[in-house]
Amino acid sequence: MIALPLLLVMVVATVMALTHQGPASVLRHLYLVPTLWAGLARGAIGGGLIGVLAGLLHAPVALPAVERDGLSSQTLDGLLSLGLPVLTGLLVGRLVDGSRARAARLGAVLAIQRRLAAPGPLEDALAGVAEELRVTLGARRVALLVGSDVRTARLASVPVGTLVDADSAAAFTLATGQSVASADLRADPRIAASEPPAPTPLRGLALPLVSGVGVIGVMGVEWTGELARATRTAAEEMALHAGLAVENARLTMRQRRFADELAEKVEAATARLRELDQAKTEFLSVVSHELRTPLTALQGFSELLLRSAVPPEKARRCLVYLHTEACALGRIVGELLDLSRIEAGRPLELRPESIDLDELMGRNVELFASEHRAHRFRWTPSAPGVALRADPDAVDRMMKNLLSNAVKYSPRGGAVCVSANRAPDDPGMVEVAVEDDGIGIPADQLPRIFERYVRVPHPETAATRGLGLGLSLVKALAEAHGGRVEVDSLPGKGSRFRVLLPGLDAHF
Amino acid sequence: MLLLSAPFEPAAAAPGPVIVTRTYAYLGAVTGLVVAAGLCLDLLGARPGHGRALAAGTVHGGLIALGWLVATGAAPGWIGPAIRIAAAAVLASVAARLGPWGPLGFLAVPVLVLIEARGRPEMRAMGVGGARLSQASAGLAAGAFLGAHLLVTASLTFGYRVHTSDPVAYAGALAYDAGVNVVSAEWLFRGALFSACWRRGSFWPAALLTTALALVRYLLDPALPHAAEARAGAVFYLGLVGLTACVLRAWSGSLLPGYLAGLAFFAAYRTLTP
Repeated sequence: MIALPLLLVMVVATVMALTHQGPASVLRHLYLVPTLWAGLARGAIGGGLIGVLAGLLHAPVALPAVERDGLSSQTLDGLLSLGLPVLTGLLVGRLVDGSRARAARLGAVLAIQRRLAAPGPLEDALAGVAEELRVTLGARRVALLVGSDVRTARLASVPVGTLVDADSAAAFTLATGQSVASADLRADPRIAASEPPAPTPLRGLALPLVSGVGVIGVMGVEWTGELARATRTAAEEMALHAGLAVENARLTMRQRRFADELAEKVEAATARLRELDQAKTEFLSVVSHELRTPLTALQGFSELLLRSAVPPEKARRCLVYLHTEACALGRIVGELLDLSRIEAGRPLELRPESIDLDELMGRNVELFASEHRAHRFRWTPSAPGVALRADPDAVDRMMKNLLSNAVKYSPRGGAVCVSANRAPDDPGMVEVAVEDDGIGIPADQLPRIFERYVRVPHPETAATRGLGLGLSLVKALAEAHGGRVEVDSLPGKGSRFRVLLPGLDAHF
Repeated sequence: MLLLSAPFEPAAAAPGPVIVTRTYAYLGAVTGLVVAAGLCLDLLGARPGHGRALAAGTVHGGLIALGWLVATGAAPGWIGPAIRIAAAAVLASVAARLGPWGPLGFLAVPVLVLIEARGRPEMRAMGVGGARLSQASAGLAAGAFLGAHLLVTASLTFGYRVHTSDPVAYAGALAYDAGVNVVSAEWLFRGALFSACWRRGSFWPAALLTTALALVRYLLDPALPHAAEARAGAVFYLGLVGLTACVLRAWSGSLLPGYLAGLAFFAAYRTLTP
């Protein structure tokens, strides 16, 4: 592209030489044509070089004319023509370079936005942006520091690998939002450079990356040699665009992360709903079975008593069975009522009064011991002064549920220890503990055992009946009293349930 | 990357001016000496003699000393090397009058300059150091091209002809250019002033300013013919030589290519006889 302007300059010079043109010949203006051409095609360097060549070719015409004619208007005109093509070429070339640089900057801005909008880690995107900036700005090194603190900020640099000092110019820009410009970093008294000044200056510019929330990072650029004002302006513009693009990228990533989290939560909630639906279906089946069993007994024994003359002894046994099954039915119905209250969000109705804890617990232990001969029940009475004000019926149900569980989940028999005392780790609270050496509960199931309809599956207890409501009722009742329930368990070693209720002295 | 890795003290002073304040007195004294020597040269005219040799040596020695002063910022210890180099220039100038091979003494001056500048970081920063062969060749070619162009232009005039009948005198002139004339120009204008100005700003202002100062120095040289065409030619060619030397200095980081360009140009120029 430079060959044709070069040829044209030679043609003009040849024509001027062959036709013996003077220094102020009109033909000399033809030098401007290839100069402009080169300037438009090759920028300031092309225009300047062709302009210099035109001046050099015109010099053998213009300078001898001074000797011949002295300093006349014509010779002065000729002398001015020596510099005119150079100036024209440089000026036009500079304008062209400026336009091209602006186009390149626009392209770079789009490329930066594309890189930052692409999915993937922000570090990778920043490294791509740094390379884009280095090429566009013709820089030696570019670094992007993104973050509010220089110690924790993400760093992307081209070439890769640079140390970050907490007192560096970049850190200053990050902290204050002020740009730092240095005409020669090695000779700048403000910068403690470890290397002496070199023959070629090392220019440096630290620019803040600003977004709507303030300074979000720093763009550091270093050039070797010349740094034109236009390049510096371009760097400032690029920093502005980069700041906004980085902020957009961060917002997009945050949105993506939020959307992912939301999707995960929705999925988990859906799974939980499915689980609950399944549990309710199973619950209905179990409830039907649990209700039918005592009802069948009631129906059978009552029919027997009605239809046949039963001896008094046998009739009494039937009545005992009828009473036992009616009690079981009543317990199930009571639990269902409590459950409906809990599900409806209504508080449980409690009638607190002073309780003789030893009497209540002793009675329950005696009852379970009489029904479950395979288990060894050990009851430790409470220390003197341990008193409780609570709903006796609620405490009784809690005890029965805990003892029932201890028996159910110790299918091979074993020890069941019951105790009541002051809680050693919680002053003012009374601790009622039921401990067994049964199958225990896996650690991953522990957080779920107080949820409704949840039963921990185990091959040895698969045949055991139950609604999966016992522990959730214990928890609800304890909390209704202002207490709580805790569990320690190891699979194969057994479980220890601890109900903590406010003592008589504590606020109820 | 120094912007990130080097400690930064925002309260510290920004880079100072090219001419440090504490150098003003020395600068005035040395410049005065150079101007006085130049006036002596002007008064003595073209008559050869020891007085003229002394004045010419003082001008070149003073210019090199000025370059040393600007480059070092009158840091302690600057004056010794400056005086030694200036004295060498004066001695070489006087020696040049002693015989036909006397001008070879000028060649000792750049050698002494290199010896004095060795190991000094501020001298490396101003461009005292080697260049690649391609850069040196480019400098030589640029100077040779401008010199050849000068000869072509001169051949079209009536009063200037290429004349090489006295090779010893030509060699003496070349030794003068290689020893002090081009050295003083490159040392002061490209080395000390251009390097410092460019370090603090942009290339073109630095190049134009230092080239203009170098032109003034040549235009004030009593040895330059006073004819208008000679002055116009000097402005044109020395302006191009100066700008070329600045470009070469910026490109290569060394004064050597510019020195070779100046030397090649003056080698052609010395063949011209009015």
